[in-house]
Amino acid sequence: MALRLSADFVAGIVVGGAIGWGFDALLGTSPWGLIVFFLLGFAAGILSVMRTAGMIAKRPELDDDPASRRFD
Amino acid sequence: MATDPIHQFQIKKLIPIEIGGVDFSFTNSALFMVITVVGASAFLILSARGRGLVPGRWQSAAEVTYEFIAKTLRDSAGSDGMRFFPFVFSLFMFILFANLIGMFPYFFTVTSHMIITAVMAAMVIGTVIVYGFRRHGLHFLKLFVPSGLPAVLLPFVTFIEVLSFISRPISLSIRLFANMLAGHITLKVFAGFVATLGSLGFVGILGAILPLAATVALTALEFLVAALQAYVFAILTCLYLNDALHPGH
Repeated sequence: MALRLSADFVAGIVVGGAIGWGFDALLGTSPWGLIVFFLLGFAAGILSVMRTAGMIAKRPELDDDPASRRFD
Repeated sequence: MATDPIHQFQIKKLIPIEIGGVDFSFTNSALFMVITVVGASAFLILSARGRGLVPGRWQSAAEVTYEFIAKTLRDSAGSDGMRFFPFVFSLFMFILFANLIGMFPYFFTVTSHMIITAVMAAMVIGTVIVYGFRRHGLHFLKLFVPSGLPAVLLPFVTFIEVLSFISRPISLSIRLFANMLAGHITLKVFAGFVATLGSLGFVGILGAILPLAATVALTALEFLVAALQAYVFAILTCLYLNDALHPGH
């Protein structure tokens, strides 16, 4: 369970950090791009974790309508 | 004595092939992929060959896996998600068989290499993007714009949604490969303790009882993880495909 959810979190941060790093390398704004995108990646990671946890936890009592099962 | 826990993940060239300067060698990973595909196909084809109205043991097992994935897909992506059933079922069977075959001693675990899981994750996300745009056009982008938000927050939240979408193939591939890699290393390390302690005489053999028990327990856990990770990969694939089928809900 821990590894299942931590992968989502880590991936968000990695993507944020990578985009920030590339942004800085292209525009020479170091370190601001990395800082901003790292934090946005952190937020995206939390979002993914909450969604994955919600999707896996909510599964059994789901009703037939797939639309109502979206996790908002 | 190969007590090095990383040794088991080494890629070895079995039949060296080189075409135009690119290495196309048939490796031990490729061999076990072939074994996986043959194993999964044989399981389904041979067990369904009887076509009994009242299924036997093997046919029941095949039907249970079919029904299980079909139900998961229908629950997650609706009945129009069933067009992706061959894709999801193939992924599930491949991962399940690769994980289980990797549990044999001295066998290679295909899914413990990130390149394999990354390609499968890229296939899933590629399908989501291509199908999403083909079926919904630009409406597919509604996936990234949650409704009912104040205009001030909208660009911010949209950007976070895009980042979260980009991180999906990465988390999908990391999850499977990290679970298999970590599990097999742990198993090897604990088994190594037994061998090392056991060579230290009577007290060592007494001390080796604990890691031996841990190894037995971990083996059971690894079988659980092998099946669970195949299921997790399949259900996340279903949920991502649901985004392609029904964006903007």
